[in-house]
Amino acid sequence: MGTETYAHETIIDDKGRELVVKVEGLQKYFGKNHVLKGIDLEVYKGEVLVLIGPSGSGKSTFLRCLNFLEDPTIGEIRVGDVHVTCGSHGGKFKKDVHEIRMKCGMVFQEFNLFPHKDATENVTEGPILVKGLKKEEAIRKAQALLTKVGLAERMDFFPSQLSGGQKQRVAIARAMAMDPVLMLFDEPTSALDPELIGEVLKVMKELAEGGMTMIVVSHEMGFSRDVADRVVYMDDGYFIEQGPPSEVFFHPKDDRTKRFLRHILPEKEPEHAKELGIVEVDQELPDPDAVEGPPQGAVGAALDEGNFKDTAIPEIPLSGGPMGETPLPPGGENL
Amino acid sequence: MGIALVAALLVLVVTALTPVASAASPAASPSAAAATAPKGTPIPVGVIPDPNAVITSGNGKLWNGDVVEVNFAPNGSDIGPNGKQLPNAGIDVAKCQVFINGALQKLTGPPVVQYLSPATPTLHFSLSSSYTSGKYDFKVVMVTTKGVSVEKQWSYDSQGQAGGQLVKWSVIKNWWKYIARGAIVTVELTVISILFASILALFGSLGRLSKKMTFRQAWDRYQSWGYMWRMVLGRIPYWVATFYTSLFRGTPLLLQIIFIYQVTPEIIRAFGLPNTLNPPAFWSGVAALSLNYGAYLTEVFRAGIQAVPKGQNEAAWAIGLSGWQTQRRVILPQAFKIVIPAVGNDFIALIKDTSLVSVITVEELLRRSQLAGAATFSFMSTLIVAAAFYWALTIFFSFWQAKLETRMARDKAREKEKGKAK
Repeated sequence: MGTETYAHETIIDDKGRELVVKVEGLQKYFGKNHVLKGIDLEVYKGEVLVLIGPSGSGKSTFLRCLNFLEDPTIGEIRVGDVHVTCGSHGGKFKKDVHEIRMKCGMVFQEFNLFPHKDATENVTEGPILVKGLKKEEAIRKAQALLTKVGLAERMDFFPSQLSGGQKQRVAIARAMAMDPVLMLFDEPTSALDPELIGEVLKVMKELAEGGMTMIVVSHEMGFSRDVADRVVYMDDGYFIEQGPPSEVFFHPKDDRTKRFLRHILPEKEPEHAKELGIVEVDQELPDPDAVEGPPQGAVGAALDEGNFKDTAIPEIPLSGGPMGETPLPPGGENL
Repeated sequence: MGIALVAALLVLVVTALTPVASAASPAASPSAAAATAPKGTPIPVGVIPDPNAVITSGNGKLWNGDVVEVNFAPNGSDIGPNGKQLPNAGIDVAKCQVFINGALQKLTGPPVVQYLSPATPTLHFSLSSSYTSGKYDFKVVMVTTKGVSVEKQWSYDSQGQAGGQLVKWSVIKNWWKYIARGAIVTVELTVISILFASILALFGSLGRLSKKMTFRQAWDRYQSWGYMWRMVLGRIPYWVATFYTSLFRGTPLLLQIIFIYQVTPEIIRAFGLPNTLNPPAFWSGVAALSLNYGAYLTEVFRAGIQAVPKGQNEAAWAIGLSGWQTQRRVILPQAFKIVIPAVGNDFIALIKDTSLVSVITVEELLRRSQLAGAATFSFMSTLIVAAAFYWALTIFFSFWQAKLETRMARDKAREKEKGKAK
């Protein structure tokens, strides 16, 4: 850490980087369910952070806590020059939360476009209502943004007339219209058909190249490898491991990261799995489940939840699947 | 076919709206004078018995031809200068006269004012001689205590015998315009009430949805008495809305109508205010119908708002909209689209429920058909007219409701088409 945080003051660290996000000791309970168990994070201007982790690990919750769509239970959150102590209430808290929301653009998995407004109106809504921009000015800005995301032809289309990829690009333009200092992407491509993912990732990549600070929850490994400055593996409410993508993907240190990557990569991205050298990762991995004793026979393997994934993987080449080029040894052989 | 019906109804309403005083045949349009009569002048609306009616019953004559009764609207003649009700509805009974075929009739005593219905009292003449059948010209002269006199004539051709048709076309012909004016009042009641009900329902539903957290959750979360106190204040809209919907959905509409009509004057009297402040029956009816339907629509609106996906709220908050901006610009426009069919249904139901207002003397469709039935002794004819009007009204508005829904569907289809074209 090392940097003191004061409200309404831009913080520059000793390397000359501007601090955009600083999270300290963030915890979130849903009732008695402890979802985030103390998270610290610093993100600097222009940095692209990719959050990965199994479902239920708290990635989305963490992202939603950052702009207070979920009310964090304890912790400190600072975005830009606004500092909020979580768990407080009252007028100042509300005002600060509002300011943070204006500074964060958010893109949702389910797009959440306003269905009763066309693409341009979706984008102008925030600038007109929140920033008090004149209508013509807002429309000009919206048109520029929609052109930038490749939707110049579809400015007066309603969301029901757009494909998933187009909707998500409108959603990105809508978030960008507020001139955010930070963009949050909550699994932006998970609800898209595979052939539409590329167009959204392309826009995100352009954003990143333009110097936008981004926190992305995504399992698009190709995107992470090309664009991310830092990959964070999150599990069970903690940040387990973080570092440059080459390090986290190729040389993960924590066993949970290794297990997760070995599971997720071949299934979701067989080509990237190969490119990222997933075979290497697997060979390094001492499988904790396997240590307890290899399953006897196929039925035993299938019943043993821990080993099911491991034994399932090498079966794929037999059926001539896409995994044929990246054979993985069954977990038992690691002994 | 639907369009033909609508057109026919429109013609009906338009003809009913045009003044008919001059064109009226002697026997028709008993309320023709209503439009022009100055305040304080009683308006005779019907003579009883109508010799067209069946005036004998099975075991002999029900009416002996020795009574003439006139229904009249007091039109202010019954209110004295101090705002108090005058006896005999302000009619100077001793000076009233009845003529048959031009001859002044001798009476067994001065005529009597009877309040068979509060809004339309009856002036009752007892004749010393009777008449039986044939064509008669009745003329009645009414004089108020202020010396204003009103004349009214009716001609009737009577067979003076038992039997006759059940549905009397002559009654329908003579009275349908009178009843049609009641239909206009019915439409006014419906439209005004649904507007007020929707406004009530909008705030009611926002109140019902204003509860975000239980007190226990809030205490666990913040452990602050200041926060709890503010939460109590913030909970008031929820409590008010819940109390309102519970009360008005939990008591009969008829009771609410009568309660507001009867209790408001009592309250005004209790505060020592002049009774000229008493709300007219029409507005009492509007208040009761609005409150009752507002309570039902509150639940409809609440469901509509809840049917808007949660992501819409989040998207609006994420771009920095305030709570009220989110409701107004994002949630409510979508919720309105969702609730239009349900509100249309309630509108149709309300058309029929306005008939309950007849009990507080609002001269809407049912009330007028009852008055006409009482005046002609042919409820069969007049109530059929009322039923026909109600039916036509519901068909008319259902037609437009269906139109509205198909239009909304077509908008969506057009949007899709446009999407394909490019």
